[in-house]
Amino acid sequence: MTLTAVLHSEWIKIRSIRSIYGSLMAVLATTLTITVLIMGTSGQEQAAQAGSDALLNAFFALNFGQIAAIAFGATAVSSEFFNGALRISLAAVPRRSLFYAAKMATIGGSALVVGLVTTFTTFLVGQLLLGEHAIGLGRPGALRAAFGGAIYLALMALLAAGLTALLRSAVAVLSLLIPLFLIVPFVLVDVATAVVRYLPDRAGQAVLQQNPEDGPGPWTGLAVTAAWAAAALLAGWWAVRERDA
Amino acid sequence: MTSIDVHELTKEYGTTRAVDRLSFRVQPGRVTGFLGPNGAGKSTAMRLVLGLDRPTGGSATIGGRPYARLTEPLRTVGALLDAQAAHGSRTARSHVAVLAASNGIPMSRVKAVLEETGLGDVGARRIKSFSLGMRQRLGIAVALLGDPHVVMLDEPSNGLDPEGIIWIRELMKRLAREGRTVLVSSHLMNETASFADHLVVLGRGRLLADMSMKQFLDSRSTPRVRLRTTEPGRLRSALASKGLTGVQADDGRWAIDGVTAAEIGAIAAGEGIPLLELGDERATLEQAYLDLTADDTPFAALTTRDRQET
Repeated sequence: MTLTAVLHSEWIKIRSIRSIYGSLMAVLATTLTITVLIMGTSGQEQAAQAGSDALLNAFFALNFGQIAAIAFGATAVSSEFFNGALRISLAAVPRRSLFYAAKMATIGGSALVVGLVTTFTTFLVGQLLLGEHAIGLGRPGALRAAFGGAIYLALMALLAAGLTALLRSAVAVLSLLIPLFLIVPFVLVDVATAVVRYLPDRAGQAVLQQNPEDGPGPWTGLAVTAAWAAAALLAGWWAVRERDA
Repeated sequence: MTSIDVHELTKEYGTTRAVDRLSFRVQPGRVTGFLGPNGAGKSTAMRLVLGLDRPTGGSATIGGRPYARLTEPLRTVGALLDAQAAHGSRTARSHVAVLAASNGIPMSRVKAVLEETGLGDVGARRIKSFSLGMRQRLGIAVALLGDPHVVMLDEPSNGLDPEGIIWIRELMKRLAREGRTVLVSSHLMNETASFADHLVVLGRGRLLADMSMKQFLDSRSTPRVRLRTTEPGRLRSALASKGLTGVQADDGRWAIDGVTAAEIGAIAAGEGIPLLELGDERATLEQAYLDLTADDTPFAALTTRDRQET
């Protein structure tokens, strides 16, 4: 049994379930649609404001795209915990570490590819709508943000995927992560700003800013997100290896 | 040849022993029926053989190797565990293709097994639109995918219509004739009797019997003869002289316990008593099974494994 064969099998799994493949495509669709809506309406106005971060504005819609990335990572794994489907999968690939590694590589890899298409398309299309305020990829930090944003999306998908392997439920993971990213920062922002900066989403989003304020720098921030994702992946790996299927 | 060897296999869930020091061997070339009531540990034992659950103790091997060590396991072992486990959103074809891809099985086999199981026309349909019987056929298609030496089917006739049941019975017999190792679990006795050559019987996780179907029936039933005669009075005295008693039923048939038709035939011929009908009554598997489990020591293992066969 080769890694290539198992990767191929995992890719067919993603392609053959509409909701999983749909979530992956929604990363691009959501980010692009929201970018067009915002840039087309209030983009120029915002860009004209003093102190506005042109990069952060360009990639603002990744806040919504990341929800699709999380849903993708969670549903791609949770499909294995549906009615004991995992038994069929593990009967075919009984080496659990190989199975897990191939699955996560496929999820991370496809999220990264779609993430790259998403960040570059979003950037270029968004700037087309900004007229005189438009910036190019030559702008300092622009390429960093485009590549970093794609890595960020892949890490979010992997974070959700690893947690789903641990908790065995996409619903549990989505109801844990989405409030964590959408609500907790606003609640905690006054009392524990420093903590919020090291949450997986806030830390990684430093890579999207022209001049990240205090807190981790662009690559350090992304590394913090990567550490969160790695922890989730390790927990999921432990669960898949040790538990009865 | 590839046999399934289970040695001292034990699985505990909390304080419950689902499988309790189970040892048996499933030989190639015959259909082995895996019998026991629901909850006897049949499915757990199969999951343990496939390495899906971790045993608390003991081991299970296939052709001498643990399942997880098999390279491309679907080419050695085909298993149907739970037909409901296939993801409903996939089409039948992509469900089988996923499994084929992981084991380097050519895609031409996907089409072949779908056709073989009667699903050739519905391969592009989503599994959630399938009836229970179609899902069962899909599970069997997956089991056959790698042209395996060993086939393990857990309750394969669940949900199948009568033609489906006949089909699966003939399929299992054919697989055994081809020299494959076939283990089929069921809680339905009469159905198992129609295809199994050998039996492994479980009760509460323990081995109750491991023997051929014929041995099992013989060991679990006393011989009985049924006959009809035109001269009941002479027959009664002839039987009495041999220390036998017959019981006459309302329809005029006699039942005589503890003898075979050959013995009664000889007695009747010697006495010149005309017999209209004479035959051995074969015990059914169901009767033999109930007799086994009704014993005072129902869970004492009763093993007559034929060593010369191994």
